[in-house]
Formats: sequence, C-alpha cells, structure tokens
Amino acid sequence: MMIDRIAEKVRAGERLSGDEALELYRNAPTALLGRLADAIRARKHADGIVSYIIDRNVNYTNVCVAKCNFCAFYRPVGSPEGYVLGFDELFRKIDETIAVGGVQLLLQGGHNPDLPLTWYEDLFRAIKRRYPSFKLHALSPPEVIHLSRLSQLPVPTIIDRLITAGLDSIPGGGAEILVDRVRRLLHCDGKATADEWLGVMRHAHHAGLRTTATMMYGTVETDQERLEHLLRLRALQDETGGFTAFITWSYQPDHTELGGREATGVEYLRTLAIARLVLDNVDNLQASWVTQGGKVGQLSLAYGANDMGSVMIEENVVRAAGASYCMDEVEIVRNIEDAGFVARRRSMHYEILGDPIFREREVPRMLELATARAAGDTSVPEELLNYPARSRAGKQRRVIPN
Amino acid sequence: MPVSDRELASLAATHDIISVGMLADDVRRRHHGLQTTFVRVADVSADVDAPVSVPAAAGEVRVVGTPASRAAAVERVRQVAATAPGIALSAFSLSDLEELAAREHVPLRAVLEELHAAGLDLVAQAPVDRLRHARRSIEEINISGLVLARLTVDQTSSADPLPFLKSVVELQRAVAVIRAFAPLPRRINAAVPTTGYEDVKRVALARIVVDAVPSIQVDWSLYGPKLAQVALTMGADDVDGVSAEGESTEGRRRAPLEEIRRNIRAAGQEPVERNGRFEVRG
Ligand code: SF4
Repeated sequence: MMIDRIAEKVRAGERLSGDEALELYRNAPTALLGRLADAIRARKHADGIVSYIIDRNVNYTNVCVAKCNFCAFYRPVGSPEGYVLGFDELFRKIDETIAVGGVQLLLQGGHNPDLPLTWYEDLFRAIKRRYPSFKLHALSPPEVIHLSRLSQLPVPTIIDRLITAGLDSIPGGGAEILVDRVRRLLHCDGKATADEWLGVMRHAHHAGLRTTATMMYGTVETDQERLEHLLRLRALQDETGGFTAFITWSYQPDHTELGGREATGVEYLRTLAIARLVLDNVDNLQASWVTQGGKVGQLSLAYGANDMGSVMIEENVVRAAGASYCMDEVEIVRNIEDAGFVARRRSMHYEILGDPIFREREVPRMLELATARAAGDTSVPEELLNYPARSRAGKQRRVIPN
Repeated sequence: MPVSDRELASLAATHDIISVGMLADDVRRRHHGLQTTFVRVADVSADVDAPVSVPAAAGEVRVVGTPASRAAAVERVRQVAATAPGIALSAFSLSDLEELAAREHVPLRAVLEELHAAGLDLVAQAPVDRLRHARRSIEEINISGLVLARLTVDQTSSADPLPFLKSVVELQRAVAVIRAFAPLPRRINAAVPTTGYEDVKRVALARIVVDAVPSIQVDWSLYGPKLAQVALTMGADDVDGVSAEGESTEGRRRAPLEEIRRNIRAAGQEPVERNGRFEVRG
C-alpha cells in the first residue's frame, strides 16, 4: 500500500516529496503519523530532553496599518485603543522577566507608521546598555519589511542596523501560509509576500542571525498549500541552515474580521507530525500549548514536538482572538516530566541553560498571563515625542500629549 | 480481558501514549466500528424555584445539582417532565440519592420508584467512588424501572488506575446494566489539573480493561473539545455534554451540532446522534 511504502521511507530516514507528504497528511492514520514523527524526534533528541525557554512575549504596539483580516490584535491608526509601550514600561517588564529567570524578550508589534527605525535602534541600545546579557528576539519579517518601506532603506541595511543596535535573533511570525494566493485572501500579501518573508529570513541568516519559522494554518488554505509552505521552509533551510525551530499553530478566529472556526485538536497533532516528517532539516519543533491548551500541548510531545516553547509571562495576540491558556514554569516542567521527558531550560539558540529555575531558587508562581497594558491605560510614553510621526493622528498626539 | 495483567501493568506504566491509544482503538473498533455517538444535553437546575427552559434540540434533559429533600426531588422531576414531554429525562447523582434516602430513613428503592412515577427515565450518573453500596444501588435503579445513564468517577485518588478499573469490571460483572462509563474524574483539581497524557491514557486503559461496558464516554463541556476529540482516537466512542443550545445563543460560534460533527469527522470517525435513552436520533 502507498502509505506503508511512504512510511517505510520515513523510517529509513529518506526525504519525503511533496506528493508523498500530502498522501500521508491526507490519509495516514493519526497514530501512524504520530509514531513516525515521534521516531524522528527520538532520533534527533536521543537524550530525552524536552526544552523550554523563559522569556516574555511583549507587543510594543498594537497600532497597525497592515489590517490582516485574521488578526484580532491590531487597532487602526488613531484608534483610542491604540498603544505604544514606553521604554520605562519595557524595562519594568524586563526586570519582572529576569526575576523569574527569564533570558530574553520576544518583541513583536503592529506596523505603526509613527515609530521610525531610530525608535527601535534607541530602544535596543537602551535595553542592551541596561541588560547586557539579556537577549532580544525581535521583529518578525513583516515588521522588518515595514521598517524598510518606512525608512526607504533596503532590508539588509535594516537588519544590519538593528543588529548593531542589539538585535540577537528574529522570530518567525507573520509567515501565516507562504503561498501568495492564501496571503491575498488574508489581506496580508501587502505586509509581505511569500518571497519577501523568505527573503528577510535569507538576509538575516546571511547576516549571522538565527531565526525561527512558523505556520498559522486553518484559515482559507488547502492542505496542499500547507505542505507547499513546509517545502518552502525546507528549501530555505537547505540553503542557509538558519532556522533553529519551527512552530505551527491553528488560526484563532474569535473577534477577527475573517471569522470562521478553529481547526480541531486532532488536526493540530496531524499538522505538527507532518511538519516533523517534512522538515527533516529543522532540529526543533515547539508545542503550541498557547493555542491548544496544556493538555493537547503536552500530547504534542508524542507527535513530534521536542520543545514546550515559552514560559509565557505575557501574551496579547492569541488572547485577543479567544485563546487564554496559561502555564508557568512549574506547570510546564510538570507536563514535560509527566510525559516521561527530562525538562531543561534553553536559550533561543537551543543551548541548554540548566535545570528548572524553580528548583534552584524561589520563583513566584504565575497563574495568569500579564497583558501589554492595564485596561484603560491610554498614556503616551514621553520619549515618543522625540520621534517624528507619519500619521495625522500621530502628529496631533505629538503636539498635544495626554 | 484482552490482555494479561502483566501487559496491562506495562501499558499503565508506559509513556508511549500512542501505543496504548492504538490498542484501545482496536477494542473500540471491535465494539463500534468507526461510529461515535453523541448526545445533546439541556441542563436544568435541581432547584424547584428555578425556571425550566429546554431547547427543542435536546436529546436529554438533565436535572443537575443536589435536591434539598425527597419531596423536592420528586417535585422537580414532575415539573421538568411536564415542560419537556417526550425528551429523555435524567436527574441526580446516585450517591446523592443514597444520602437522601438514608437521611429520610426510606429505602433507596422507594425514592427511585417515586422519581420514576414522577416521570424520570434515567439516573444521570453513578459516581462509583462515592457510592456507599455501588452494586446494590445500581441494581435498585434497574429494579425501579429506571436506567443508569452513566457510571462516572468523582475524583481520581490513585496514580495507578488499574485496580480501580478492575473494580469497575467486577461491578459490571455483577450488575450487567452499565451502558456507558466516563473514566475521567468529574471534579478537577485546579491547582494540579490532570495532564493530557494522564487523561488519554486513562480513557485508553478504561477501554482496554472494561471490555464489558459498551461505551467509554468523554464529556465535551467538562474536558473541552480538543482533549475530548483526541480521546476519541484513543478508545472513547461516546460524547456526553454537548450543548443543546442553538447557534443564536452562542454568538458567532458555530452551532454545537455542527461543531461536534466536524470534530468527530476530523478524528476520522462517523458521528451518530443519540438521545438520552441511547436511541439513534433522526
Ligand atoms: S497580524 Fe500583525 S501585521 Fe497583521 S494586522 Fe495583526 S498586528 Fe498587523
């Protein structure tokens, strides 16, 4: 049978073609997909370690001109609910992160026309001055492209300047599905086409940065297009070797313009497993417990994942679209060990940093995720007045700060 | 029992959740093929003063909560039966009814017969770890002309599920009327919730060990669609607690009927709607 033959190929460590992967994804029993993915996970991570990182996912602004129709997080320019975090607020968040053993900030935000490149450079420098060893995993490819357009500088220059200012690595957000037919339907081809997204990652890898890669599935794409996405990532990884990890999650439809329904838990496990089979050149696959919940998040470890992602201290984007799961380090470690693995803290580069921090020292429990801003806080950070605004609303705010 | 005690012990100890799930899935297919049944339930409070509203889509009306007295229990059943004639009516926990009977110094059978006369079809659940006299009380349900909707577990006490599951096997051997068994605990410890591995392994082991009970059940609303759906691929064949509310009351979300069918199909199975009496609907 076709499926048996393809499964044999996977077991022999051979690379899958797109058609073979599609056949498995469509027709293989979920248990078989899990078995095959788990065998690859065990081969790549024979030490039985499942890692996680303590970092903070901060969204520095929710103002965005891209207006992707699947996004519940953004606010248009001039919206009273729009915000930009001040440098001091960000420092406070970093202090809180370090207090619980955190090592990095995952910094992403909307495409805000009132934040020029110099704002980012000054922020990164200020962070590195105060916290020299703290890592900045920041600005997904569409944000880099936005800065390139805003400042009329080529992408490699933007990346170089950000690296000089303190950027350590680039998160793989904004990939959605790397097929332009899908991106047009999601109104996100304007922020970055598939080639542009891959182009930023190629430049970043050539500049010496490591990055992650992601896939948001479950909107308007076909199963074939999901595989096309994976194959495009695999091809770039063959070329540069710059992706440290792959993370997939299901589209969260609540409060979005696109609406619709979320893909099911079994679809998630199948998608994760097929990603493990196709991305034979990517070492690490993260479990998306933030979208799937702790239970299916933990079960991901049997379907190819070897990493529990981030001990999230803060989350805004997925929560805006209806998902609100929370696990602190104690919970993450309990889930890893209960599944029979060894829990270890890591860096963005997947270097093992040590045992769970709560076993080394007292760490406050976090049973609720923080938000970027307290509800109702509409303050405008003082230093914003030092940067030129592009939008009319931004210019008005600069004149009359509230 | 399809596997030896030694094999069971190693299944209970393994972290290879997929292998346990595959074995359970074999047992499930032997019982049910690819069919997964589900029931849309309308919950109604046990409080006699609370309003009763039953959506027409309900396949079961379930009176939930502890009745204040025997008279209140009978009155509530009468009220609900009058409001929703023809829809399977289940009510109460058998352990609560045991306590009520003891408190009012009447035999359990008398309470059950009164409820039956008032219009009750099924006792909603028998939490096996809370029953004083599991075997006798379940038999009383049958003798009184009622049906037990499902055997449940109130709280998980031991890390090793096998002794407990074997006690369920013994119970079924004695009573032979348990139609559905929901092996996941109904009381969830918020501080240390069970993990996904624990839950699906418990479901899978229940299917493997408790072969004589036709259905292994998961609760859609209590455990959430994602975990419940995965459990369907690892031994469960029946979904309880699907909301009977229509689309309009759930905002932009899809109607529960569409959602449950979609989830069952995405798990590779065929959805079949049943009512509270385990009869196929429509
Ligand atoms: S997904 Fe990102 S780019 Fe798109 S609208 Fe939301 S914040 Fe803007």
